[in-house]
Amino acid sequence: MSGMWSAEYRAMKGDIGLHVWRKRVGAPKPGAADKPLLFLVHGSSFSGRSGFDLAVPGKEGYSMMEAFANWGYDVWLMDHEGYGRSDWGEGAFAYVSEGVDDLKAAMAVIEAETGAKRMSMYGGSSGALRAACFAAACPDSVDRLALAAMVYTGKGSPTLAKRAERLDEWRSSNKRPVDHAFFASIFNRDKPGTAEDEVAVALADSEAALCTHVPTGTYIDMCANLPLVEPEDVKCPTLLVRSEHDGIATDEDVMEFWSRLPNKDKQFTQMDGQSHAATLGLNRWRFWHVLNTFFSMPPRCDQ
Amino acid sequence: MSEIWSAEYTAMKGDVPLYMYRKHEGAPDPGAARPVLFLVHGSSFSGPSGFDLMVPGRDDYSLMDAFARRGYDVWTLDHEGYGRSGRTDGNAPISEGVKDLIAGVEVVERETGERSYFFYGQSSGALRAACFAAAAPDRVRRVVLDAFVWTGEGAPTLIERAKRLDQWRASNMRPVDRDFFHSIFNRDLPGTSEEAVPDALADAELALCSEVPTGTYLDMCANLPVVDPLDVTCPVLILRGEHDGIATEEDLIAFFQRLPNQDKQFSIIAGQAHVAPLGLNRARFWHVMDGFFRMPARQDPYEDEDRQKIEERRRAGGRS
Repeated sequence: MSGMWSAEYRAMKGDIGLHVWRKRVGAPKPGAADKPLLFLVHGSSFSGRSGFDLAVPGKEGYSMMEAFANWGYDVWLMDHEGYGRSDWGEGAFAYVSEGVDDLKAAMAVIEAETGAKRMSMYGGSSGALRAACFAAACPDSVDRLALAAMVYTGKGSPTLAKRAERLDEWRSSNKRPVDHAFFASIFNRDKPGTAEDEVAVALADSEAALCTHVPTGTYIDMCANLPLVEPEDVKCPTLLVRSEHDGIATDEDVMEFWSRLPNKDKQFTQMDGQSHAATLGLNRWRFWHVLNTFFSMPPRCDQ
Repeated sequence: MSEIWSAEYTAMKGDVPLYMYRKHEGAPDPGAARPVLFLVHGSSFSGPSGFDLMVPGRDDYSLMDAFARRGYDVWTLDHEGYGRSGRTDGNAPISEGVKDLIAGVEVVERETGERSYFFYGQSSGALRAACFAAAAPDRVRRVVLDAFVWTGEGAPTLIERAKRLDQWRASNMRPVDRDFFHSIFNRDLPGTSEEAVPDALADAELALCSEVPTGTYLDMCANLPVVDPLDVTCPVLILRGEHDGIATEEDLIAFFQRLPNQDKQFSIIAGQAHVAPLGLNRARFWHVMDGFFRMPARQDPYEDEDRQKIEERRRAGGRS
């Protein structure tokens, strides 16, 4: 669809500048929220624009931002501190708790641009932890929340058990290197063949142009500090999407979190043929369809 | 917008005639078949009364119309002993309801040429639909189980209903009247539906009958579980009204977790009670159903392999 409009902004967390990126169909009217707002929260290993607005040479339909913009959303994301086009404070680990502060800074930008104080939010992997913690901390800011590749306690998680073997390394430095082989491993560690090979290459190319390292804080949090959020504190309508082959958590751990969510407007979706990075998998349109259906729920008539 | 087209059919289960009703936006075009959605009613009222209800002064209560407008070819059936279908001296338990559906899908196939359909079942209709999906997996594309119950453990409605188990066992039929229809909508949480709805439902049903079979009540009070989740191999959506006393959330989660097909969803609809398709928030309910049925096709290379694994697990009864 033509008419894709985009803009970039700078949110400030103290003196740390954070890149904010926005896409929608058609230019906005300043100060007006004329479309439903959707905010996308990235995870531990690549920045927001690289993951959610990826251009894969010779391939169509990899930008989640554009898919949702074409469905009528005003789509926003940010690069968290230490990632992509954002600043990285000296010695900062960029833990999940700091990611929540990043999101608060971004919300101020969105409110200034649109006047809106609430939006739907999607987070994947440690982005789901940031989003859930943000929803718990700022319940008035999140309308509907979708959490994918989420982990609650981490008990029994194959990916985290493997990752924890290097916990001393993550703790000893706030930086971990990323390269093409690492990006390929994200897509192949669970179930090879659930994503196209070109995707990891495009993602690595996109990230390599911006950085050679990413912060270790979210890895440490996921290996040593779980749980970071209790389901009882997430009070908004919540969708939990679990990919069949995702080793970041067990089915039981994720279901335990979901079953205790207090808002009875909630959904648990298990998706077959998907691995950890579902937004970039072969079945991403199924994944996006589930999110869109959840975000576009008609309003309640009994309140 | 085209007019909604409708037609009546009769399925035969042996010598028992079963009434079927179909709605479609415009007349069906054999060259442009729409996805078939088959709606399965519950214990206390017939298919068209519940799924095509006309509430005076309102035009937005028919689930059949809503889904016909969304592009589906919508069918329902009155089970043996209900509505416009034949009566026998039996009590029409779940197992008979499955036979009704086996007869019903033959009519759908004859009329549409399609063999596999979306199914939606409500309350004991969800049990019928799940059992049918287990018995005829090649006829069910995706199934929505609404107001479902698995073991029944701890279910407030079933605990209350079981107090009259001797009565359900003593007679194959139970009387229904206007007060009963009101009780369906008010037993969980009054105010989750409009008062005009049970009146309209009572008007529709009492014109057809004064009693309904007891078999599904008996099954739900004394014979659960009637289906093993491992046997339901298609994609499943478990849909639950927040205030529905027919099952506990724990019971449904346990069923959901055992479903072998990893394309599955569990949705709770806030502010809804047992008869969610006729509640105030029915548009939310329909939205979730529609989204589930419209899931795009898989693009990964593992679909056939997954289907084999599911079938192996079903045959092994979960021991593999």
